[in-house]
Amino acid sequence: MSEEIIKTNIEADGVKQGRRDFLKNVGIASAAALVASPASVEASAGSANPDAGITVAESLQGHFVLMSDQEKKTAIERLEKRYTAQYGKKTTVSDVPAPKGVLFGYALNISKCIGCRRCVHACVQENNQSRDNPEIQWIQVMKIPKGNFSFAADKLDTGYPKSSKLGDYGVQVGGNAYTAVGGLSPEEVQNYYPQDEAVPDKNYFYVPVQCQQCEKPPCVKACPVRATFRDPNGVVVIDYNWCIGCRMCQLACPYGARRFNWGEPNIPPEEMNPKTHYFGNRPRMRGVMEKCTFCLQRTREGRNPACLEACPVGARKFGNLLDPTSDVRKIIATKKVFRFKEEMSTYPKFFYFIG
Amino acid sequence: MLTTNSKNIPSIIIVVIALGAILAGGFALVGGFDIKNANHRQNNSAANEGAKTKAVQPVTECYESRETYGAVTRIENVVPQYGYPNIKCSKTTAGVLWYGDPFDGTIPMGTMPEINDSTHGDFTNAVVRPREPHLTYFNMGPNGCVTCHDGKTVPFPKDKKPRLITMHTDIVADSTQLKHGRGAMWCLDCHSATNRNKLVDRQGNEISFNQPQRLCGTCHGNVYIDWRAGIHGKRIGTWAVGGKKRWWVCTECHNPHTVQVNRFDQIKAESPPPLPRGMTSANYE
Repeated sequence: MSEEIIKTNIEADGVKQGRRDFLKNVGIASAAALVASPASVEASAGSANPDAGITVAESLQGHFVLMSDQEKKTAIERLEKRYTAQYGKKTTVSDVPAPKGVLFGYALNISKCIGCRRCVHACVQENNQSRDNPEIQWIQVMKIPKGNFSFAADKLDTGYPKSSKLGDYGVQVGGNAYTAVGGLSPEEVQNYYPQDEAVPDKNYFYVPVQCQQCEKPPCVKACPVRATFRDPNGVVVIDYNWCIGCRMCQLACPYGARRFNWGEPNIPPEEMNPKTHYFGNRPRMRGVMEKCTFCLQRTREGRNPACLEACPVGARKFGNLLDPTSDVRKIIATKKVFRFKEEMSTYPKFFYFIG
Repeated sequence: MLTTNSKNIPSIIIVVIALGAILAGGFALVGGFDIKNANHRQNNSAANEGAKTKAVQPVTECYESRETYGAVTRIENVVPQYGYPNIKCSKTTAGVLWYGDPFDGTIPMGTMPEINDSTHGDFTNAVVRPREPHLTYFNMGPNGCVTCHDGKTVPFPKDKKPRLITMHTDIVADSTQLKHGRGAMWCLDCHSATNRNKLVDRQGNEISFNQPQRLCGTCHGNVYIDWRAGIHGKRIGTWAVGGKKRWWVCTECHNPHTVQVNRFDQIKAESPPPLPRGMTSANYE
């Protein structure tokens, strides 16, 4: 908040301020923030303060896992009341516990994925992401050129280090420091291909990336307040009310799966999904992290995640990793499976496969 | 939000009209611009405004996997508990994004043959969206394809010899170049010669259009086994083994008449993610 005030001050003055002025402004702004904070938490939803919707009681509540049943009930009733008033429709916040004997796993067929991004927007519809300013999407689809390990005569000579008078040193099969072989150079990856593009393009393959629900999640290790943790189904969840917004987990995540609410989320009331879960898709506040939860408001009640249901080619599979007859276990048993960034030792429960 | 829009729209229209008038005036000065065109311009802008207000309304005619397979219609308040429609569609491509009720408009898949393999296809709770009600050309009525292909209006073909067909070119553009089976297939290898409302397998058994997998699987066995096992193809509903699921059958994704060209026909992509702050293009990403 203080940063924004400073920024607007600078913009209003139209001149670059000195360091002393800057420090003075920081002092004024932080003092203003301190004075304003008790008022802001009590202010009604109509005021200009972006944090206005949150009541004092909600901001003082404890970690959800450590609450007593009565406290949980109160907290959920409070949230339901606030969301119902804010979005003008009856909203339910569930705290359905994790089903027993289930470890959720996901499999995605990258030879089938066509990169249509329907999963991305299904996720937005289901999980109440902010639609604009900030626009938040939990799934990102990478478009990667198809490479080939060509042993054609004209390519055999390329990619080797140049020979010098000291001799030929180094063995490098295909590609060089600038162009990797196989088209897997991160510079070739396109995340922002336009919306009218006809997909699939035969020269590319597509890899959607979302939270990999690691068995050893680095984000959980990084969280200083244990607001994010691994639930009994193996899904990494966030208590949005306990999150302090330090974004350490975002830095720790090797997959870029976590998103931060830089501003007050904008969800059109007519599009808002009123069936929510405390750890899942309930509307978030400004300044908290969010990420894919395998749609736990659905999966805990037996239904498939929204991204799976949206996929027009059936590239996505979801199931119980502890059940040998589940789709995911059959895929792991019979197909060529890899995990993304396996070398990070995060042990994802999100499997990419071919075939 | 709605109130601000309604306040803004008149002012926008006024500005657009004023701009149009200025442009019209400018053109008139330059080279004898006809005032009718100016009116046309204004009408266009009004139409654009109309389109903008319409865009707020949800898209109702959508498609699932194949754009040409048939529309799915959005119905409001199918799940009254949450006020869900049966489907939500993309505003840009009209693709179905989200299912309020995954079993809307479905029927049981019907009996599936046991095959001697280890896949244990579990079809007890399988449902499909029926295809047979959509076998209509030119709104011809409940008899479907048999309305014309009754042996009199259109005589039954005597043999399976490929020939040039002038009808149904929207399905197969050039019947001498059928894009399935690389020249080894003819229409009547799959379509029944005497009952056009049914498919037919190599033994001459009639197969419903709701169960094309029983026909496709006779040749594409490896894919069929994967499909029965739940690896190939799409199914929505519950994730649990043995739970109720809606299965997508072969022809809901693949067009059997052009499958040799595209296993899956190209569709339009949805909108891209927002660029990071401060970036105006992804050229140097």
